[in-house]
Amino acid sequence: MIAHNKPVRMTIPAHADYIDVVRLSLYGIATRMGYSFEDIEDMKVAVSEACNNVIVHAYKGHDDAYIDVVFQTSPQALSIRIKDFGESFDFKRAAERAESLHGKEVTELKAGGLGIYMMQALMDEVEVINENGTEVVLTKWLGGSLGGNTHAAQSNVSILSRYSSG
Amino acid sequence: MRMNPTNVFEVTQLETDTGTIVYLQGQLDLSMSPYFRSVMEPLAAQQDKKLTLNLRDLKYIDSTGIGIIISLLKLRNELGTTLFVEEISPKTQRLFDMIGITEFLRHEEDSRVEQTGGTA
Repeated sequence: MIAHNKPVRMTIPAHADYIDVVRLSLYGIATRMGYSFEDIEDMKVAVSEACNNVIVHAYKGHDDAYIDVVFQTSPQALSIRIKDFGESFDFKRAAERAESLHGKEVTELKAGGLGIYMMQALMDEVEVINENGTEVVLTKWLGGSLGGNTHAAQSNVSILSRYSSG
Repeated sequence: MRMNPTNVFEVTQLETDTGTIVYLQGQLDLSMSPYFRSVMEPLAAQQDKKLTLNLRDLKYIDSTGIGIIISLLKLRNELGTTLFVEEISPKTQRLFDMIGITEFLRHEEDSRVEQTGGTA
């Protein structure tokens, strides 16, 4: 069991080698909360994409920087907060431009924006707070998608993105 | 204690009569994407050889890994050839479908059907 209202906090160096540590922690917490295998996989990808953004955009490879990660649990949901203190990244604009590759020509394919598209498609809620850096809050409802529904990501109609600027 | 060594990202090349099969194993994320790119780009540039990615033992891939596959696909397309994939796990397939990259990747099984003239 996992106690609610007792967030798990961790600080990792803002380096690609440590993203796996966040995925392992997420796996441990989400498994105890009873999330399905697919929901856990979705969250692992989304959280990693948020960390990628911090490392690539906010800190641009500075190796003395850190990322704060907080796992907030409730009986209904798991929220993962990924906070950096780096350069502000225009997440809202990037999110508006982010799209999938469906219906494009090979020559039109672009990798940019895929990470943000995946975060939005894989989580139930994405919130971005720009205040002394950027904080991305990723939420997945517990029991929101029934286990075994392999089309959950495509048919997800409860995607909600909120943006507030500090 | 070494935990779950299968998660370490590894690339294994197999040269066949018709081309190169590249087996991806473990977790391909931001930390491993420069290595993956450095291995794949010279292979993708060989336009006269068939190039196949085998994803059977790929445990995890993120947008940086998928971004490299997209750049390989575009490079192969410019060279007038293509990129084959085979044995995609359901987990990876689900992600590829969501992103929309599946329709651009040639499945190994498809080519076999073509070679044998398809089904009646």
